Amino acid sequence: MLFFKLWNYLLGYLVIRVEGLSLERFINLTVSKGIYMWDIDRHSYTALTACINISGFKNLKKIVRTSRCRVRILEKRGLPFILVRFKKRRMLVVGLSVFLIIIYGLSSFIWSIEIEGAVRISEEKLLQNLAKHGIRHGAYKRNLDTSSIANKVVIDMPELWWVSIQLKGTKALVRVVETQNPPPMIDRSIPCNIVAAKDGIIHEMLVLEGEPVVKVGDTVRKGQLLVSGVIEDQETYDVRYVHAMAEINARTWYEGTGTWGFDKPVTKRTGRKAVQKFLDLGKWVIEYHVDEIPFKKYEVSEKRVPFIDQRGLIPITMIVREYYEVEEIQSDTKLQRVKEKASDIAYQNARKIIPDHVKVVDKRVKYDIIEGKEVKATVYMEAIEDIAQKQKIIYN
Amino acid sequence: MKKRKLDEVKTTVSDMLELPKEITLNLPKITMIGSIQMLVENHKGIIEYTPQRIRLNSAIGVIRVQGINMNLRNIAADDILVTGQIKIVEFL
Repeated sequence: MLFFKLWNYLLGYLVIRVEGLSLERFINLTVSKGIYMWDIDRHSYTALTACINISGFKNLKKIVRTSRCRVRILEKRGLPFILVRFKKRRMLVVGLSVFLIIIYGLSSFIWSIEIEGAVRISEEKLLQNLAKHGIRHGAYKRNLDTSSIANKVVIDMPELWWVSIQLKGTKALVRVVETQNPPPMIDRSIPCNIVAAKDGIIHEMLVLEGEPVVKVGDTVRKGQLLVSGVIEDQETYDVRYVHAMAEINARTWYEGTGTWGFDKPVTKRTGRKAVQKFLDLGKWVIEYHVDEIPFKKYEVSEKRVPFIDQRGLIPITMIVREYYEVEEIQSDTKLQRVKEKASDIAYQNARKIIPDHVKVVDKRVKYDIIEGKEVKATVYMEAIEDIAQKQKIIYN
Repeated sequence: MKKRKLDEVKTTVSDMLELPKEITLNLPKITMIGSIQMLVENHKGIIEYTPQRIRLNSAIGVIRVQGINMNLRNIAADDILVTGQIKIVEFL
């Protein structure tokens, strides 16, 4: 039935109204002539509506005359009648096809290049190399052989191990794997000692080569000898020089301080915020989404986000300003908050001097109230790190 | 007399060979779906059509269908599809 409806829609059909006294005769005549009608509905004794296809309607004339009916077209339905309407608006069809051609044309160029995996090598250099072999902005992508280009790029750039180029729509996704340098060779013929790189208490020792001088639990100062590269035989007093190697994990301390005055405002965010967004077009700034700021006191944070294009090809950035409502803290909880502020700063300061690979195991905070005006927080952070440092032995 | 004899022969033959009787005996075939749809094949024309009453001609006489809001959904040279609320089907 669906197929039937679709077929009729494609060929086009008419809804007609037939008026006359002998409508049954009209129906019988059309049927006997092989004209197909459907959805026949009798409204009154003298009138009925029916659907009929176009070719059937053309053959209806003779039947109308013999059955003495009058036929009126109520509606024209189907594709042919829509196409007829298009015929009158030729420019619409032209515009539609031009639009499709442009879309198709524009989608056959590379409009953006995304690079994944470039850490040490500069993207500039990689992009230049890609451009040399045909992957560039605006390149026609239909006859690009991506795998052979990838091979050429790898040959041209010795700092890459592997390159893959995928064309995803108008984006070229370039994935690279950089070469990894082998770890530096240890020249074990040079004798050396191991000394402490900083103060600390030794937590655990793993001596691979050499004579340990200190033991676990010892407090060592910076520069103190930990593992000796000079080995003396107990009996023969023969001296041997080795390249000492060890991993010495020690507890070390870092400290940071921060102060916060009682007179400085101490505020807390209430959780309500308003957002303003602007589009920065270089010369002009357009408001994009601007909330009213209903707060008396607020903090502002501003972010710039590239708009649409992550690679900055389109020079539009979005400025997002977030206004957080804040309120002042009352005096009874003020000391607590001032302490928190001071310790926050102290933590941040301490974090700055701790190297990234060091594991912090414990922390303690001490507060001093200086002349009743401000709070000074001192943070002590205990860490475990490797303090072994090699030092050449100079001997005659 | 002769025609009745011929019909009897036709009936036995189509019974034996399992041929469709509406073709061998030239009878209308009526298929109904509940009381909402009725398909009449092998009819011989419409005598009367109103939403309340339809009369169809056939080889065995007039078929009268009575109901409410009946439509001729589909009409072709030898079959007719009636939809609506069908109440009575009579053979006159």
